[in-house]
Amino acid sequence: MMVGKDVSDISVKVPEDAHDTGKYIPTFSAYLTAIVRDSTGRVIRVHRQRSHSPTANFMGLFLPLNWYVSTGQAFRITNVTGGTYNYQPSLDGTIPGTIPGISYPNNKTIYPNYLVMIQVGSGTQSNPYNAYSLASPIANGSGAGQLVYGTPSVSNTVTVSGSSAYFVIEQTFSNQTSSTIDITEVGIITHLYFVAAGNQSPTDFGNTLVWYDTLSSAISVPAGGYLTIAYTFTVNP
Amino acid sequence: MLTPDLVNEEDIDKLIIPDDLPDEPAFKAYIEAKVYDKEGHIIDYRRQPMRSLTQYFLALMSIPLIGTYSGGSSNSPTGLLANVLGLSAVSNTAWSADIVWTWSIQVGSGTQAFSPTLTGLAAPILNGSQAGQLVYSTTAVSNTGSSVFVLGAVSNNTSSAISVTEIGLTCTVYIQYWPSSGYTTSSYNFLLSYDTFSTAISIPASGMATFQIVISFTG
Repeated sequence: MMVGKDVSDISVKVPEDAHDTGKYIPTFSAYLTAIVRDSTGRVIRVHRQRSHSPTANFMGLFLPLNWYVSTGQAFRITNVTGGTYNYQPSLDGTIPGTIPGISYPNNKTIYPNYLVMIQVGSGTQSNPYNAYSLASPIANGSGAGQLVYGTPSVSNTVTVSGSSAYFVIEQTFSNQTSSTIDITEVGIITHLYFVAAGNQSPTDFGNTLVWYDTLSSAISVPAGGYLTIAYTFTVNP
Repeated sequence: MLTPDLVNEEDIDKLIIPDDLPDEPAFKAYIEAKVYDKEGHIIDYRRQPMRSLTQYFLALMSIPLIGTYSGGSSNSPTGLLANVLGLSAVSNTAWSADIVWTWSIQVGSGTQAFSPTLTGLAAPILNGSQAGQLVYSTTAVSNTGSSVFVLGAVSNNTSSAISVTEIGLTCTVYIQYWPSSGYTTSSYNFLLSYDTFSTAISIPASGMATFQIVISFTG
């Protein structure tokens, strides 16, 4: 069948619920909450803002096989050190496989893709989509300008409440120095392994930035204080 | 050790500085439908917001966010994959395993109340040329920056009009591995989104329709 040009068809029905772009009801929301405590554990500040920014790495990993089949292209993934990988998964169909995908848990090998940390930093960058590392990451430690990183945690399941559902990624940091430390950027870092099914030669791609936000205002963590950052991903909020 | 929160929710709300949540949403999605008659003329056009993502969408997007393993020295899947998608570690592979997925657009002729735990359309229209069936074309996916465009097309090869009242974005997850006897996949189907049309879309005999779901993470 030939499809006529839309512009020549004037009897087009536009329903009342065809909204302008800016009026769409969000069906997904991500926001980050930062809770600052002083050295006694008292909450001294709560910062909450919309999270705007999946990185290109996230998009490449999230796209389905349809995209890779439709385009015939690879998606370039960049790790935090600037190393690149041309990701182009497939339903391989051969053993040993030759087309790597995202490694999956099994009884034989441990090539883990896993959440490494929520990373915080003291810089900013204007194009979060293209970011592959924080502009100025704050190192893990108790030296000057450093924060002690706690272990990240993730909801074990999705919490459903009515038509809404969400999960949370959370991590706590402590300032064991004698000075206040300012936070201006936050990102989610995941370690990636790419491997083809049945193949013994994985690509250990390392730490990769998948989500990035600059804070709408700096967060100060006082000497001896704590910072807890929680990312909440919600549908139908 | 951190002490428990020393303030209640109301106090926390007062402490929130800034609260930029009323700002422009960071995520937008809409559904677009075009109906063509047998001569290829467009006879109906719809565009409406997508309203209803499921918990399976969240679990799927957790893979690029937090990976598939519950830790760096673990061989078990994350809690989200295990508890929401029902996935477990491959137990009989001779070597490594990987995970991939495809998306499809499915349409139906029923309606149902939305729940994040919905697993399928109320009355999916089957693929075929028999009465009440539509021929589905392969779903194509493209992207620009943080936006993903999912395009599906259906043809009505029957002699009667067919009404479409519901639409879903579905996902098939494949786990590929090698249980010593050859290449194997385990596949799992999930519903990522569910929406109903404000009024039914009628696809005439010998006509066709395209359905596009646009998901944009950019505000």
